[in-house]
Amino acid sequence: MSSYETLHHGLSAPICLTWEVTYACNLACVHCLSSSGKRAPDELTTAEARALIDEWAAMQVFYINVGGGEPLARPDFFELMEHALERRIGVKFSTNGTLLDRAAARWIASTDYVDVQISLDGASPEVNDAIRGRGTFQHARRAMELLAGEGFRFKVNHVVTRRSFDQLDALYELVTGMGGQLRVTRLRPSGRGAAVWHALKLTQEQNRRLYAWLRTHPDVLTGDSFFHLSALGAPLDGLNLCGAGRIVCCVDPRGDVYACPFVLAPEFRAGNVRERSFASIWRDSPLFRRLRAREVEGRCRSCGAYGRCHGGCMAAKHFTGASLDDPDPECVFEPETGPTSTLIPLPLTPRPLRPVPLR
Amino acid sequence: MRRSDRIRLDEAVALRRERFGALAYSYRDRQLLFIDRRLLPFVSSDGGRPVGEIADELIDRGDLQEDAVPHLMTVLEGLRRKGIVHVVV
Repeated sequence: MSSYETLHHGLSAPICLTWEVTYACNLACVHCLSSSGKRAPDELTTAEARALIDEWAAMQVFYINVGGGEPLARPDFFELMEHALERRIGVKFSTNGTLLDRAAARWIASTDYVDVQISLDGASPEVNDAIRGRGTFQHARRAMELLAGEGFRFKVNHVVTRRSFDQLDALYELVTGMGGQLRVTRLRPSGRGAAVWHALKLTQEQNRRLYAWLRTHPDVLTGDSFFHLSALGAPLDGLNLCGAGRIVCCVDPRGDVYACPFVLAPEFRAGNVRERSFASIWRDSPLFRRLRAREVEGRCRSCGAYGRCHGGCMAAKHFTGASLDDPDPECVFEPETGPTSTLIPLPLTPRPLRPVPLR
Repeated sequence: MRRSDRIRLDEAVALRRERFGALAYSYRDRQLLFIDRRLLPFVSSDGGRPVGEIADELIDRGDLQEDAVPHLMTVLEGLRRKGIVHVVV
């Protein structure tokens, strides 16, 4: 039985559970999936968050992917992560690195089950800072140095865009040269990403070259981000399916549960943990039941590559106005739909670094 | 793997039951593995009984075909090499 057949109908608990712990962020990256910036006044309290962790432990959730916003902007961040670790839930958290100090690096290095990924969207300040904000390249690099100094093997998460594509090799050298591991992820037209989608999404030629690059760099992680590219040939490492509501879900700072971190939209909200238990939402929400029962229809079903990409990313379709039965907007067999220039002006400018919003 | 071996899960591995068997997750190297339901009695035996004895019981109950045993032993050996299970000494 293939992993698709095994996982299509869902699991007793998510494999990949993303928890956006706050909308507070001291940056305002132009492609932010959750349009983060200000803390929402009704974010889960510490007690609610601890209870949610307890519920995940009871469901035997193996690990949580913690994001935001900037997770370190939450004053109770370390308390919550300690709570998860005490209940044998591994923590993988994403940070922009600006708030990561030596004490945090020491704490991270002292744990067995914490993984950290620092966001970096280019191998040079020029490319990275145009997307993430002035000075962020240096902040991220300092965070990498702090973790490397503690002997910790950090990860760098890179949202690959048409502007950064030619820097992939340089970024790989930078990260591995410091003892880290590179992870590349796909730009989604979600949150503020919708506004910059056409300016930053890879060209079809870049998508083809990325597939080849990933095939020759098996040590680069992708978080199953590029399964739509598996249509080009041998499948990329990973499960190669849209896991939304099947093996993946996302809990936002207010406790809303979505099918995946890339579809924070009312149509894909399955419930709220203040109203129903997470377990009940995961197992019985009508939305998740529908997602577990559905197959992509339309042209994809008669495509010879369907068994490798299964129709692509639901979020990318939704936020580009496509039907969920349409091919992925970056389907490798579809024609180029826009200009191929790599320096299209960005409609958004990242806000400069600002002090952490306090509670 | 020999029939007389007793095996137990690595202490850094968590096992979660699923409809197809179980998911095993290693906190040591972050590996996620699918465990077929036929393997479950072996990987969850906690070193209590030799794997050959477990196999015989499953065959007697009609839960396992005798000709599937060599393949199962090969798979268990693969799990041992990956550090998911250990032979109890």
